Amino acid sequence: MRTSPWIPAFYLGPAVLIMVAACLYPVLSAFQLGFFDWSMGTPWSDARWVGLDSFVSALSDPRVWSSLWTTLQFAAVSVSVEMVAGIALALALERPVRGTAFFRTLFILPMMIAPIAVGLAWRYLFDAQFGLVNAVLGLFGIAARGWLADPTLAFAAIVVADIWQWTPFVFIMMVAALANVDAAVIEASRIDGAKWWQMTFMVKLPMVMHVIAITLMMRLIDAFRVLEVIYVLTFGGPGDSTEILALHIYKTAFVGQQLGAAAAISVLLLVVVVALSWGALRLSNPLKNDR
Amino acid sequence: MKRRDFVKSSAMTVFGAGLPVHGALAQSRYARYAGQTVTFSIPAHPHYDAMLKILPEFTKETGIKVDVDKLAMGRMKEKQLLEMAKSQGDYDLVSYVVMWKGEYVAKNLIHPLERFFRNSALADPAYDLKDIIPIYLENLGMVGGPKGYLAGPGAQLYGLPYGAETSVLAYRRDIFAKHNLQPPGNYDDFAKLLRVLKDKEGIGALASRGQAGHQCVHAWLLHLNPLGGSIFDEEWKVRFNDQAGVKALKFLQEVVATGPAGIPAYGQGESNTAFLQGQAAMYLDSTSLAGLVNDPSKSRIAGKVSWALHPMGTRRASQSGGLGLAIPKNAKNADAGFLLMQWLTSKAQDKACARAGGTPVRNSTMLDAELVRQYPEFITFREALKYSNPDWRPIIPVWDKINVQALGVGISEALTGRKTAEAALNDLVGPVTQIMREANYKV
Amino acid sequence: MKRHSPLFAALHYAMLIALAVLCIAPIAVIFTTSLRQQVQIFAEPLNFIFTPTLENYRAVLEEDKFSSYLMNSLFVGIVSTAVTLVLGCMAAYGLARFRFAGRNMVAYTTLLLRTVPLAVLAIPVFMIWNQWHLVNSLWGLVLLYVAVNLPFTIWLLYGFVLQVPIELEEAAAIDGCGPIKVFMKVLLPLMAPGLAAASIFTFRIAWNEFILALVLTDRHTRTLPVAASLFITDMGVDWGKVMAMGSLIAIPPLIFTFVAARQIITGLTAGAVKG
Repeated sequence: MRTSPWIPAFYLGPAVLIMVAACLYPVLSAFQLGFFDWSMGTPWSDARWVGLDSFVSALSDPRVWSSLWTTLQFAAVSVSVEMVAGIALALALERPVRGTAFFRTLFILPMMIAPIAVGLAWRYLFDAQFGLVNAVLGLFGIAARGWLADPTLAFAAIVVADIWQWTPFVFIMMVAALANVDAAVIEASRIDGAKWWQMTFMVKLPMVMHVIAITLMMRLIDAFRVLEVIYVLTFGGPGDSTEILALHIYKTAFVGQQLGAAAAISVLLLVVVVALSWGALRLSNPLKNDR
Repeated sequence: MKRRDFVKSSAMTVFGAGLPVHGALAQSRYARYAGQTVTFSIPAHPHYDAMLKILPEFTKETGIKVDVDKLAMGRMKEKQLLEMAKSQGDYDLVSYVVMWKGEYVAKNLIHPLERFFRNSALADPAYDLKDIIPIYLENLGMVGGPKGYLAGPGAQLYGLPYGAETSVLAYRRDIFAKHNLQPPGNYDDFAKLLRVLKDKEGIGALASRGQAGHQCVHAWLLHLNPLGGSIFDEEWKVRFNDQAGVKALKFLQEVVATGPAGIPAYGQGESNTAFLQGQAAMYLDSTSLAGLVNDPSKSRIAGKVSWALHPMGTRRASQSGGLGLAIPKNAKNADAGFLLMQWLTSKAQDKACARAGGTPVRNSTMLDAELVRQYPEFITFREALKYSNPDWRPIIPVWDKINVQALGVGISEALTGRKTAEAALNDLVGPVTQIMREANYKV
Repeated sequence: MKRHSPLFAALHYAMLIALAVLCIAPIAVIFTTSLRQQVQIFAEPLNFIFTPTLENYRAVLEEDKFSSYLMNSLFVGIVSTAVTLVLGCMAAYGLARFRFAGRNMVAYTTLLLRTVPLAVLAIPVFMIWNQWHLVNSLWGLVLLYVAVNLPFTIWLLYGFVLQVPIELEEAAAIDGCGPIKVFMKVLLPLMAPGLAAASIFTFRIAWNEFILALVLTDRHTRTLPVAASLFITDMGVDWGKVMAMGSLIAIPPLIFTFVAARQIITGLTAGAVKG
């Protein structure tokens, strides 16, 4: 079409301007902020230049590494369960029956509710004294556990909350993907006498592998961005057993009031997320479909 | 001086408060500021909830409006720091946690109060600063003296206590009567009692804080002080991992083992709730609980609670701390803010607040016959205040950081069983020393 | 050969119902807790028979600042959504229809920006917004939400623009329509489902968002989620009131879900599945 440079600038200009000013510029500023030691309550002019000190101490701080490790564990467990459960449920329930639309509506609810509300609901459910989880376990004769007081159980709690919120998302993606699978191929393999597990693993799943990969990447990236639910549910406790990196950054900045140090750590998180996003881009480049 | 003025002024000196003349004087004190608005930063805290009930009186009496900004305590500091760092801030009066006083003064954010009290146009002649409980005044308000936070040479008054507290033991006299038990007087008895209560009554023995961060450190300090320990020695070197420190932490671990389920996640609120809902037989924490015991929407144990002194270890050393009021240096209406601060802590209003469920800051309030009838525990509290330790924790500017980022993590690890008491404390020596060195202490 | 044994169907429904219950349970807990009195909240959790009370809602709604919180949330939600839609739509069109120098860079950067964790953004934004005096202003928050939502919106709408055959646009242009008219008469109607999905997602994020709002608002510009977090204090959580607030916050997303579930699903699956 036309190649006058003003026209694309007109269409893209405002959006690009806002994204640069309010998103890209702050991200780049985070790098700059990491070179200073600035604590809250002091004016910016008082901020001290410390060069690479904050970055070095961030990389050598065992709490940063343990926080990163916690985040990796959280991502690994949550995403695996979400993917497996989502795919399995999609395979089991892909055949539409009456009322499917209504059920699908219910399944979207978890991810539409405010994360803060999700955190509150699960905090209430996991409460040691009057939470529903302990009450239900009590019905089966299992003793009440201090869910949010035990490091392992608290970790389980944040994983459960995330699984609850996002498995439906995986489910919906997979159902849509399976619906798009060419029915002829399925029929053909059925006529060939394929058993159900052969059909599943050798025919259906490979045909939707593309969507699985994309969903996996999306969930993985989002797992690193989780913050609000955990902020409300455990705030990193007990100890620092559920202090994922995003929360550690928030605490360093707004509880510890060390904005420079927090910025340095956030660069680390950014690197991880950008690496994952790059991987996602390689897997599915939306620009590939250009005409 | 005209004869009429002479009579008037001598009448005032002689009769002081109570006469309509005093009211007129008060009016003139406030007159200049009527119509201004004081922006007041307060936490979500039972004492300040009680204060909110009496606050409308201030506007009625003085014509000065009050705009309250209530925040969760965790967010309050950050918001206050932000406002006080600007050239002109939003807040005219702030409520602060005792632990922040050193930092606020070091960063030059709040006014010393002396110039307000010396200003005859503002100061209330009937105020009687000496009536304010001295340990509270020292703990919450004095900065710059010995060690930086105690009374003595060099100390200046930067804040007034409001919502201050000490620690006291509350126990279920019905449960104790049932098993023929006595409240513990010392820590040996205390330790034995924990097991006995758990085994005999089946509910938790002692409700306690335990949450990672400043909550679990507070719980540990409650036992560290009477057992003779402290965080630093005289030269600011750490000594919290000595015998007293380990004994205190082991005691706290026993409290967790014999307490209601979930202590390692309990903040002060959950600990209060556990006791008020009948899930624990004893409570060792702030005197502010007194205002909640008889509140039917929060408590199931009204009328069943007795009070005793904080048990003795090698010494008696109950907590000192809580909240105070200060005036930011960049306040728009600093004078009006001071007037509000003075009004709230005046004799009449302290009593009114206590009636509404707040914590008294004045001796006269604690001795008031009617209030003692309403809160007989005041008698125990007055006794407890005698043993309140002003050096209960090192309120140096960098204490908050040590508290939340180092001690708060390590103590929590001991409580959740991840580390033994000795290991947890020994592992903390390095990080705390590091923080001290970064703050220019020679350790 | 299809086998629809009754057993299969029954099993199918049983699973669906079980999953539905799991999905709804926590949300139901929010609502039921908001209707409980304080003492009952601490009582038997399995006791579903209780006298409901509107006390919590009354307390929350009558708090003098509630209407301002509501107005703030509505303002931020509606304005961010409107601005994001307009700018996003234009940008998607520009990206889809034109080739220009720097196109790849714009495209990839937009994609990468979408994945920035908000915690990383919060700190520099806090500093920069303070310098620009945008802190404690609703427009400052709107600006941020638009910037954060544009990447996803652009990519969502990009897919929809691509589905509109370019021949239709050319035909309209031949008919004498200027570029704006082409946009409005040809593209917008065909992109309607995408626009619906994009607006729902954007509004949902602006309405639900908590961390950035926490850092950037004061008591005058506070939004509902931040106000809800005030009930979580050092002295414990005021469960009745916080759940009441949470229920109120959940109402718009709930309405959207029930009214526009199909669009939401289409929006989610569009880019991934078609590819």
